[in-house]
Amino acid sequence: MRALYAVFRMRFREELRYRGAVIGGVICQTFFGLILIAVYRALYDTRPQTQPLQDVVTYVWLQQGFFRMMLSFDGELTEKIRSGGIAYDLCRPLNTYAYYCTRGMAQKVTGSLLRSVPMMMIAVLLPDGWGLRAPVSAPALFCALLSLFCGLLCVCALDMISNGFTLLTLDGRGIQSLLNLLMMTFSGNILPLTLFPDRWQGVIRVLPYAQLLDAPIRIYTGSQSLSGVPAIWGLQLAWTCVLTACGLLLWNVNRKRLVLQGG
Amino acid sequence: MNTIRFYTHSIRMLMKSRLQYPLSFTVQTLAQLVMEAGEMLAVLLVIDRFGGLKEWSGGEMLIFFGVMSITFYMTEIFGRGITGGIDSMIRQGGMDTLLIRPRSIMEQMICRDVDPRRIGCIAVGLTALIAGSAQTGLTWTFIRILLLLEAVFFGMMMVLGLFLIEATCSIFSVRSLEMINALTYGGRSACQYPIDVFPRPIRLLFSVVAPFSLTLHVPVSFIVGKPLFGWPQWTAFVCPLSGAVILAVMTVVFNIGIKHYRSTGS
Repeated sequence: MRALYAVFRMRFREELRYRGAVIGGVICQTFFGLILIAVYRALYDTRPQTQPLQDVVTYVWLQQGFFRMMLSFDGELTEKIRSGGIAYDLCRPLNTYAYYCTRGMAQKVTGSLLRSVPMMMIAVLLPDGWGLRAPVSAPALFCALLSLFCGLLCVCALDMISNGFTLLTLDGRGIQSLLNLLMMTFSGNILPLTLFPDRWQGVIRVLPYAQLLDAPIRIYTGSQSLSGVPAIWGLQLAWTCVLTACGLLLWNVNRKRLVLQGG
Repeated sequence: MNTIRFYTHSIRMLMKSRLQYPLSFTVQTLAQLVMEAGEMLAVLLVIDRFGGLKEWSGGEMLIFFGVMSITFYMTEIFGRGITGGIDSMIRQGGMDTLLIRPRSIMEQMICRDVDPRRIGCIAVGLTALIAGSAQTGLTWTFIRILLLLEAVFFGMMMVLGLFLIEATCSIFSVRSLEMINALTYGGRSACQYPIDVFPRPIRLLFSVVAPFSLTLHVPVSFIVGKPLFGWPQWTAFVCPLSGAVILAVMTVVFNIGIKHYRSTGS
């Protein structure tokens, strides 16, 4: 545990080094957010929906702010798998799965903290109808943060499955692009899940992808009442357990038949 | 003339080398297709939920989306030398090699790389275009096809011009240039929807600085028979020329910028 904590801290610091790049990233991401909101405002002018526009705007800002939590790509790991450098990691007195999972988590936490905090500050200052709205209540904010943490565990487990496929095929770009599309679509990044067709709602709400950001945001905006929150936490943790089990299985099987590249 | 022969020759060689590993190429092309299909899915879901966007019907939205993705990714196929990796080339000192050769920098940059994998994205764009014109019952007359070709051609020139802004900036600053992406990739995301749905500041940005609206929205709105802002027909033929203007201006700016180039290689 202490070793993993050290890995987390190291990776956290490593990510903190490139603070300059973050400014550009924040401006770019804010711009994307504004464009999306402009489109949704025009769409709402065309045909108003039952879900208030302000909720959609808040949804967009939170999705943009925590974008880095979903899209993180450990290029070092892929490179290690391709070059055979992963042999060194297999020699470490640490579980390889736990090692890379911790690294990924540190990357996600730093990436989204560095970007979301300045973005939220900008978004709050924007005029009504364009800006981020405060959470419905203080308990809701607390529940949403806890749910966000559960979502983080869930997305790490998902990432490790996708990394497991890279381990299996060496060039994971094909399967990874498919998994990425599933994640971007069903986590609500390209379109808020509430705006998906009504007949899909029952299914997409239960998928693991909805647990990453959609569930915390629903608690934040108050479209999910507080009485239903324990059920959401339960679902998030259940998915985390299932996905982690799948990922561990994939990694263990692959470790036995892994052929090291390079020489 | 010589330049064109030089370009086609390089492109042919690069394409050949890219197709040396057919399986890897196929998988990556499919990956691109899947990615762009996700973008199209978003538009389809929006149409399903909202029916249309202001005065534009679902089919017309698909046409705008299709023309945008064809234009943007055609640029990436044939102009990859400019749209991809200029900053890392400058960082690694690769620009030095270009400077000592007896050819113009622009010519060598465009002949530097191609990216045939983007054909996957273009397949999606074409599908959207066909589905859109089927839904709106559009017949492709000669003049419409001509307008479409003009829109795509000058759109490609404009996108190249925008990527040249990024190239010029990377001469002066070696570090991350994510901000410029707001114009290129941001423009692609925003302008897959017609310009008149946006508030004035965004409209100005994409009409004056990065005129997607002139190269793409004006001609395409004529193709679907709903001229933007009620402008007369001749504007549909003249406006896309702004793409060539952007490219010309940026070429001049880039050539001025390159005079200040300092090698970073070792």
